[in-house]
Amino acid sequence: MSSGAHRDLPADPVARALSRARSVLPDQGPIGVFIHHNTLHAFQHLPFHEGVRAGADALGAEPYLTLAAFRRAAASGRIARDDLEMEVTRALGDRAGELVVGTLTRAGLWLELLCADVDGDDAAGLEFALGAGEARECDDLARWEACLQRVLRGPRPTALFASPRPPRRHRDVIVAQGGDDTDVAVHGELIRLASGFLDQGQAHVVVPGRELGFLTAVSTIYQHGAAAPRECRGVEADMREVVAQRLSASDVIRQSLQALEVSDADAEDFLFATALALPGWTGMFSRLERHPEDNPDGPPVALDEFLAVRLLLERRAIERACRALGMPTAWSALRVVPQPVVPRSPLLDAALLWGMTRTGGLDVPDIEALPDAALQRLWDECSVSTPLARRQIFQEAYERSYRRMILDAIAARRALTADPVYERPRAQFVFCIDEREESIRRALEEQHPGYVTFGMAGFFGVAIDYLGLYDREPAAHCPVVVTPAHEVHEQPVFTSLGRDRATRRLRDRWLSVERRAQAASRTLSGGAGMSFLFGPISAVKTLARIAAPRTSLRWGERLVASVVPRPVTRLSTIRVADESLMAGQNKPVGFSLDESVERVTAVLTNLGLVRDFAPIIVFLGHGSTSLNNPHESAHDCGACGGRRGGANARLFADMANRIDVREGVRKRGIHIPTDTWFVGALHDTADDSVKYYDLEALPPTLSVRFEEAYAALELARRENARERSRRFDDAPLTISAHDALLHVEGRSAHLAQPRPEYGHCTNSICIVGRRAWSRGLHLDRRAFLVSYDPGVDDNHKVLERILAAVGPVGAGISLEYYFSSVDNETFGCGTKLPHNVTGLLGVMNGHQSDLRTGLPLQMVEIHEPMRLLLIVDATPEALLTVAGRQAEVAELVTKQWIQLVSAHPDTGEMMVFEDGAFVPYVPQPTLLPVVERSPEWHMRSRAHLSPALVRAALPESVVGPGHVGEPARVTAEMA
Amino acid sequence: MDASGVQLTTRVALAIALLAPLASVVAIGVMVLLRDERPKESQVARVMGAGLAGSVVGSLLVIACYVGLLGEAASGDISFGDWLRIDDFFIPAVFLVDTVSVSISLFAAFLTALIARFSRTYLHKEAGFIRFFVLLGVFATGTQLVAFAGALELFFAGWELLGISSAFFIGFFHERDEPVRSSIRAFATYRLSDAGLLIATVATLQLLGTARFSAFGTAAALPPLQSTAIALLFLLSAMGKSAQLPFSGWLPRAMEGPTPSSALFYGAVSIHAGLFLLLRVWPLMEVSMIARTVGVIVGLSTAVYASLVVRVHTDAKGALAHATLAQVGLILAEICFGWTTLALVHLICHAFLRLGQYLKAPNTIHDSHRLGHAHRTASQLETRLPGLATRIYAASLHRLRLDDRIDAAFAPVLWLAALLDRLDRRWRALLSFDRPQP
Repeated sequence: MSSGAHRDLPADPVARALSRARSVLPDQGPIGVFIHHNTLHAFQHLPFHEGVRAGADALGAEPYLTLAAFRRAAASGRIARDDLEMEVTRALGDRAGELVVGTLTRAGLWLELLCADVDGDDAAGLEFALGAGEARECDDLARWEACLQRVLRGPRPTALFASPRPPRRHRDVIVAQGGDDTDVAVHGELIRLASGFLDQGQAHVVVPGRELGFLTAVSTIYQHGAAAPRECRGVEADMREVVAQRLSASDVIRQSLQALEVSDADAEDFLFATALALPGWTGMFSRLERHPEDNPDGPPVALDEFLAVRLLLERRAIERACRALGMPTAWSALRVVPQPVVPRSPLLDAALLWGMTRTGGLDVPDIEALPDAALQRLWDECSVSTPLARRQIFQEAYERSYRRMILDAIAARRALTADPVYERPRAQFVFCIDEREESIRRALEEQHPGYVTFGMAGFFGVAIDYLGLYDREPAAHCPVVVTPAHEVHEQPVFTSLGRDRATRRLRDRWLSVERRAQAASRTLSGGAGMSFLFGPISAVKTLARIAAPRTSLRWGERLVASVVPRPVTRLSTIRVADESLMAGQNKPVGFSLDESVERVTAVLTNLGLVRDFAPIIVFLGHGSTSLNNPHESAHDCGACGGRRGGANARLFADMANRIDVREGVRKRGIHIPTDTWFVGALHDTADDSVKYYDLEALPPTLSVRFEEAYAALELARRENARERSRRFDDAPLTISAHDALLHVEGRSAHLAQPRPEYGHCTNSICIVGRRAWSRGLHLDRRAFLVSYDPGVDDNHKVLERILAAVGPVGAGISLEYYFSSVDNETFGCGTKLPHNVTGLLGVMNGHQSDLRTGLPLQMVEIHEPMRLLLIVDATPEALLTVAGRQAEVAELVTKQWIQLVSAHPDTGEMMVFEDGAFVPYVPQPTLLPVVERSPEWHMRSRAHLSPALVRAALPESVVGPGHVGEPARVTAEMA
Repeated sequence: MDASGVQLTTRVALAIALLAPLASVVAIGVMVLLRDERPKESQVARVMGAGLAGSVVGSLLVIACYVGLLGEAASGDISFGDWLRIDDFFIPAVFLVDTVSVSISLFAAFLTALIARFSRTYLHKEAGFIRFFVLLGVFATGTQLVAFAGALELFFAGWELLGISSAFFIGFFHERDEPVRSSIRAFATYRLSDAGLLIATVATLQLLGTARFSAFGTAAALPPLQSTAIALLFLLSAMGKSAQLPFSGWLPRAMEGPTPSSALFYGAVSIHAGLFLLLRVWPLMEVSMIARTVGVIVGLSTAVYASLVVRVHTDAKGALAHATLAQVGLILAEICFGWTTLALVHLICHAFLRLGQYLKAPNTIHDSHRLGHAHRTASQLETRLPGLATRIYAASLHRLRLDDRIDAAFAPVLWLAALLDRLDRRWRALLSFDRPQP
């Protein structure tokens, strides 16, 4: 079972196990910078269904939603019956129509197993329901009696449905035999040691001698009189031996394998399972070993040392537990100890037979006369339909139903496309592709046809290491796969240099006092002193922060701003001369003229913004502010490496406003008129504020134009807040836009708010193409929108650039949400409420637990786990060309980790990539609901919405007049 | 207003402070049990909020009576008759209004109400929302009872309510194993300290003839052996409840509940309950030099122990728990030195400080980005005596293996229990012929 294995593995079993473990363990770095990625990235070379099953099996997780959840979705109509039948037929192929028993076809049997709760394992529950007359079998008791009698006569099904996980390590057998879980003591000890060792700044003292590595540091502690936990007693001697004989990690691992009598043949799987027993902490060792840049000033980290310490402790615990149970410690003997089996109740089999015979049209006499062979064949057929196979079908149907709805809506919208308006746009707004910006873009477009929006990856083509005014060190603002070649600094302008020096001193002093006070409050004398001095003040502050979160935060900020005002700053956009490549600084600060010209040209081409420039073009990066939220960074911009995109927007605008840059861009064929001005801004997705940069430089002649754009954004952010509020149960659906803004500001400022925003939750679609044919379509904040104009992309170079960036980023976000919502406890990090930040690395549950990786329940609770539906405004040939050049995109598509749809740029015909080829999609003629403005559509319910047409955002000519007030329905004729 | 009028106002005020949260608990219980659908979060929060606000108002009214704002100052014992009477044995329902009780009452009522407001947002959509608020109500009732109790019997009732709500809060996420284990450990420690309190109560009744706090002044007349024994029992129960050495092991493990409950219990109110007990029975403690000496030693060694453990703690809540514990140890020592007023002020100020810190514990990452962190420099000890430094580090990291030692001490009891259980199963298997027992 080398499920998650990569292609070329070393021969040595220990090295093989480590290498496999490295690829499967969670790859989340320290939580201060949270980057969305495919949780099962290591399995991406396998087809989706194989990959999720292999990954889930390795981690003991669920690969799909539960059958119960799917059945609820089917019952509520979220999964259409047609789609389910279609998926069953697709899975069974030609054999779907064969008869199994009576008139029951194989497809019918599968559908019965899918939809009816006939395969439960709750015999007691069934017995009770039968007694109470609530079971569905009570509808036909004669049949029930016959089925029960028939089942009792045999044959009985063997190995039906769920088979228990085979034991993988000693601990599994010990627990199965009723012994004490050895992991409790071993993990308790490991967690304390590992957190002390890896700590990035929370503890005052870290493990002494940690610069020597984990194994040495730990064994030294033990040598100096540390007491082992009771369950691991004896490990002190082992540790002393490690020091005395200078054993390396691999020596220790080998010795432990010998002591536990794990044969070479078993060693790989045993070690692999051992590494995955505490995945969060083990994964952090693996991550920091491979990414030392995540661990500056930290100790040397090695996965094998962690495993060595683990095995030392575990060995003693196992020996003790096995002794207590009177079992051998040899793995070869232990693994064959039979596991206690609970016999399956005949009631369950009878319930299954009841359902099958009813669907198959068998009556009581038929059941009684059912030959053994026929019954056996029925059981065999049932056991082929494993719960996993059924959940796979459900997943496909779940996605198919959604895909049909979206593609039909897009076809209907596209059929409306009228001639473009050849009027100069009033203002253009460029947002990140983030699906959270879909609503604010719509809110802008609804205000006037002259407001045009675009979407592109939120680092706006400028990959930089950015050093903000008060930052300590530069941080990469670009997708994680890119290494920036430039640094950009935020610097005070000349006239505020003096003031900056003063305030900076004041600020530094204040922060150092605050930092010291925080540390002192935990010491004996400091704690006492601070209690008397600040206790009462602290009570007042806490009261204010809880009773009036928004207001108290504002007052605090105002107070700070009045004492230490922030100076006026500019970015070091353009490299003045190459001397600024100062000694010791290996990256140039700022861009050269040519580099700037190249960046600006590339971005404008990607956007398809090469003509019709508006007077004001606003670039909006995004970020998110929340308090008391260890996962704050997960809400920031993924395209900026989990940071805020404001600096990138500001930088781009600064570049594009320069006359010399524009001159260079003009030489490359893009003519930016002189009365066009770019403005950089930052949209906060939590409190829906918009912060503008460098407005001092705005030409006064454009101020009226800018004020108009500003007013539009002011309205739009309020509408955006309102649309977000509908998802929050604690905001009424009748909320006004203004109150909604106050509400989201309150959420962002609240110490007790576990859901400052829903982040990427509900993301499901990605549309790469011209906005013209999706404008006016209400997509419920679920679609990544990427601007792309196939008309200005002759050799698919632009498409390639876009897909190479958007494919992996979009898939990473959607798959992280997928996994964290199908199994929130294993792939995600569970509920936030008991989380405890540890070592500045991540969160634990309560006082000590595994490091919890993935997304918390509060971030995914309304998510629908589906693979990203990527719809591209390009021909299948163009897509295949790009896939041929971009291996990662090709892998995502051909292995079906995303659903790819080609929408022909000219005809609008759609082709879905399915089972290795593009298959034409024939849209159903659809009546889309039409509303004047989008709040009429979305403020009616908190549930997921189907697409609707928003007339105010459409060009006048598209939908005829007369649909005012109560939303009417309009036939969108198919083109 | 005449004296009886003041008495009446004080009685009403006391009744409000005590019964308002209890009434809310009952009301929510009725809503849950008698209605088919689950009550809405907003209803639950409103009912409990009203109860807790009532408790604050009641507490303020008592203070008003106490300082004489509503006429003549009312203080001392306020009797509501008998709680229980069996022949000539009776348990009085008596409440004591004095500086200590009114300050603790207001302090606890205010913090509980504050936490309720916080939790309304924090626990939104949590499956255990109603459970949380009901437990908060039980806790509020318990604290008011403890604060105002005029005799040990009533005090004990409140003490038990605190204990049970605390154990349930630790085990709040009972679908996981660890919270349940920690909850049982805290509960077992509480039971031990309850036993101390119960024995001390009975002994006091026996020796003094009453368990009224106001009668403790006569304790000086007791023979030293008896007063010392009782004082030591009180000290034992205070040590368990306030997690003093050697019972400190349960405190860090109590961080399993939702953040606000950890803040309220182990940052602010519950952890100080043991100290409050000692303040209440102070006249008895005062006369026993032995108990006071033991108290000082326990308090100071806990303070030193906890402040060493803080240094190695890498998790936000565990570090706060030990920082709190260090101050609690210090306050215990202050009490035993006889500085009771200082201790009371220290206790309240400290609780205020910690409550805010606990509530902001998840903000650690945000703070570290803003503040940066100081560079660690090796201390004198680490450079001069690295061996000793490592030894101290190891001991702090393992927290002296307190839990293991306690487990070992109780191992014979558990062994006996296991033996009895086995015998019991065997008997049952022998006697029940019809079905095999699991």
